[in-house]
Amino acid sequence: MMRLHYLELIFFATYAELRAERSRSYLGLIWWILEPAMNMAVFYLVFGVIMRIPQPDYVPFLLVGLTLWQWFKSCVSHSGHAIWNQLGLIRQVKISPQVFPAVQVLADTIKFIFILFLLMIILWCSGYKPNITYFALIPVLIIEFVFATGAGYIFAAVLPLAPDLRFIIEQVLTVLMWLSGVVVAFDNMPEAMRFWLALNPVAQLVMAGRGILIYGQWPDWIALGRVGLVSLALFALGSFMISRLTPRYVKLPA
Amino acid sequence: MSDALITLENVGVAFNAQLRMGSPKFWALEDVSFTLRRGQRLGVVGRNGAGKSTLLRTLAGIITPDRGRITRSRVSCQLLSLSLGFMQHLSGRDNAILSGLMLGLRRREIISRLPKILEFSELGDFFNQPISSYSTGMLMRLGFSVAMQVEPDVLLIDEVLAVGDSEFQEKSSAALRERIHGGTTVVFVSHGDAQVKQICDRVLWIEHGRSMMEGAADDVLRAYHATPSAVAAQ
Repeated sequence: MMRLHYLELIFFATYAELRAERSRSYLGLIWWILEPAMNMAVFYLVFGVIMRIPQPDYVPFLLVGLTLWQWFKSCVSHSGHAIWNQLGLIRQVKISPQVFPAVQVLADTIKFIFILFLLMIILWCSGYKPNITYFALIPVLIIEFVFATGAGYIFAAVLPLAPDLRFIIEQVLTVLMWLSGVVVAFDNMPEAMRFWLALNPVAQLVMAGRGILIYGQWPDWIALGRVGLVSLALFALGSFMISRLTPRYVKLPA
Repeated sequence: MSDALITLENVGVAFNAQLRMGSPKFWALEDVSFTLRRGQRLGVVGRNGAGKSTLLRTLAGIITPDRGRITRSRVSCQLLSLSLGFMQHLSGRDNAILSGLMLGLRRREIISRLPKILEFSELGDFFNQPISSYSTGMLMRLGFSVAMQVEPDVLLIDEVLAVGDSEFQEKSSAALRERIHGGTTVVFVSHGDAQVKQICDRVLWIEHGRSMMEGAADDVLRAYHATPSAVAAQ
């Protein structure tokens, strides 16, 4: 009963969030596509055209990496701010604060699905055909979803008590992007570093996604399973932190 | 007693004064004890900073006490809050659904009440327009109409009895009065004696976070006014 009610609230608030976002600008929905496309264009200009990274399939490599990365990044940074942004409401009504980061993650995921389809169409048109390994996208995306939610929950849990963290989140995410092989492949990095870099869950997910969409390769299931476990642990930790800290959120000075 | 809905025993609530590590605590509620019974209309009086709003939020279950005990039977408590969770770029209709869900209503409950909300708020065609195009009065009317759709066992009211322009003020306070006298248990915080006398049969007086006296409205109000706050503080 209680759970169902929260699901209804989360789904409707997600719809509301997307709808409000659409009406906040002239171009509305078009920005869902245009903003990431512009972002990708910037990276392509710098690394593909100006620096001419000597790597076969660099454009699809970059597009897949950035698509998966931007989804993760927007989930974490939006959900990370979600509880802090809704403190006024949390002070006034008895509600589980977990609702707010969940809404942000869902909204970003819906936008991501549009972009993913667009990416696939671009790949198909460039000769990277759909293949049987596409089925492996399902677990890869689910794990990335859980990982992003867990990371977002942890930020969301701490931010109300330490709002200064919001100046750090974006920087941490930027560093993580460079350490995840999103723009520059690990092959171009020193050997000694590669082992450590491969431990990064985001890097594993990005690699798995590229393998599937570009090369038709099945992911490394053991590595993926490990990332899945880490993601679940992160998610559990995040929700635990939020529920433990809720009594403190309601008492924060207005 | 079986009709006791919420019992507070020596309840205290502490806040941090600032969002800094090691900032000093202050006790907004020091020591409050009383029992709220079914059907009671309890007024809460006390000077500014006595802890009245904190008490309401504790009763609503939003704040957990830091000391003392609070026992509640299985009842729903609702702090009457207007325009909860409203979003600027959404229509009045969508905001009504969103706010209703935040207040704890199920989706189908709130949807079945949309016609009532539309009628009571007198918004007409504006109901489907984004609330960013509303006047303050219209926003108040929508907020009040949505808030009134929740029917808790215990209604907690912090000062707001009447909202909007003078015409709607009469309508809203009449609706609320009807609810109050329709048998709902009510806790009402106010500075205005007249309203407390009009609405409440019992009164709780708190001073500096302590419950001083609870009893029949007239008795408690008389004692409250007879005591200067400096004396009460001791």
